Amino acid sequence: MGYVLDFRTASMERQAVTVQPVAETCADDALVSAARAGDRPAFGLLYHRYARMVHGILLCRVPPRDVDDLVQEVFLLALRQLHALRDISRFGAWLSTITRNRANDYYRKASPVDRAADPDGEEQAESRTNDHVVEQEAAMTLAVLRTLPETYRESLMLRLVEGLTGPEIAERMGLTHGSVRVNLHRGMKMLREKLAEKTQGGEKALGAE
Amino acid sequence: MKDDYLWDGSGEPDPEVKKLENLLGRYRHNQPAPAFDQVAVEQPTPRRWSFPAFRFSFQLAAVAAVLVIGITTFLVVRMRQEKNAGPAWEIARIEGAPRVGWHSLGANSETAKLKVGQTLVTDNSSRASITLDETGTIEVDPASRLRVVASARNRQRLSLERGTIHATIWAPPGEFVVDTPSAVAVDLGCVYTLHVDDSGAGLLRTTMGWVGFKLNGHESFIPAGAVCATRPKIGPGTPYFEDAAASFRDALTKFDFAKTTAQERNALLGILLFDARKEDALTLWHLLSRVSDAERPGVYDRLAVLALPPADVTREGILRLDPKMMDSWWNSLGYGDVYLWHMYERAWSEQRR
Repeated sequence: MGYVLDFRTASMERQAVTVQPVAETCADDALVSAARAGDRPAFGLLYHRYARMVHGILLCRVPPRDVDDLVQEVFLLALRQLHALRDISRFGAWLSTITRNRANDYYRKASPVDRAADPDGEEQAESRTNDHVVEQEAAMTLAVLRTLPETYRESLMLRLVEGLTGPEIAERMGLTHGSVRVNLHRGMKMLREKLAEKTQGGEKALGAE
Repeated sequence: MKDDYLWDGSGEPDPEVKKLENLLGRYRHNQPAPAFDQVAVEQPTPRRWSFPAFRFSFQLAAVAAVLVIGITTFLVVRMRQEKNAGPAWEIARIEGAPRVGWHSLGANSETAKLKVGQTLVTDNSSRASITLDETGTIEVDPASRLRVVASARNRQRLSLERGTIHATIWAPPGEFVVDTPSAVAVDLGCVYTLHVDDSGAGLLRTTMGWVGFKLNGHESFIPAGAVCATRPKIGPGTPYFEDAAASFRDALTKFDFAKTTAQERNALLGILLFDARKEDALTLWHLLSRVSDAERPGVYDRLAVLALPPADVTREGILRLDPKMMDSWWNSLGYGDVYLWHMYERAWSEQRR
């Protein structure tokens, strides 16, 4: 071919760019491999690592009172299905999908009475029994957060409720830092707007009374 | 973005984020792990064949066939209904008299709806914007034709037949697609400008996020700051950063679209490899799959100098265009996870116009 190229600066220009911290990814892969081979303590460690992610995804979709039970169900399901996971480096993304499917099943399997219950209304009813104003505000904020588009809702739920940082969310869910950062930024903007609307609506209603 | 605290808890705490953390922290997960060591994992056992089961399977097959036919009919009918009954874009006149069909939007009727199958047309002195709450907003420049191809809750597809649009999309990545005569642009979370001239040639410029461009198996990923041209029957060219050297950009345009002799092509590739900077790894990565087998080693060697391949990428693998290695190298460039593209691209390919 005979290209005339100047590679004198090659060694200076060499620079490795990686998306995920290699050590952490390897640790996860090793745990998943061990769990597949029947190592239950390894699966227990995966639970500790991913329980908040599963909890947050469920909280986006089902009433808070049922979330803890469903977290355990999801992990038991994952334990039984672990042999079907093709790419062990995608454990987080795979577990997220199982969690979303389980949340969908929750409504499919619910009785007509349960299905008719509006989750937002239910949270408000729960909070009405509690005199604490902060409880009520928390329930209202959670209900507003749950109205955001799915992508923003999940990232924000994991950040604000579960206390994961952006890099942790990206690593656990198999997403890039860039997309999680954009989701958090846009989601927070939308949440602020919706909370402001809700507050203004409440003030107007009080004024009318 | 001043959102360091929201991102990783560093920097000065944002009072509103802090308040929300305190308020919502009460819902945080705090359950201990179940006793996994006491859970028995069932192994699937093969079913035994028996005559009654065989007889029953005929009945089951008949019921299944009826169900499949019924469900298919239902889905086709529902899909047709959805196609015509999706959410409509809100049109706002900015200047002049943009029109939809025979209806012109004058000063007295400044807003209207743009539904599936309808086309928004602006003449040389008109401009308009269209907005869909859940998706985003698009400014349509003069002399443009923009049609709504499909509209559903999580799926919007427009067709820019000619002219220029400036799109700001807040829908989740992959839900918004624009067809042009020479490529399909898939939004992956971004702000971008798309231009199509009368010949059908296009130019996409990404301002924020990234966009995937596709036609006939040619794919281009265009991150913020990069542009990509397209030509009818050829598809998307190779993306490049606008601040690349003029000689690099000229050589790339000729390399992508001009009819050249083998000698001219060789010279153009030489310019591209010689003038490439670290940032132009974006362009060289795309070139890997667009050059001939004989040309590929030169591109690999130059790209490996500009952006060290990850540990799981080998020279031999890239020379045979191993998909996993190509994806891995792309991911290491830091412009976005190509897994997202494969996911969304597949979803859109499955639902053709």
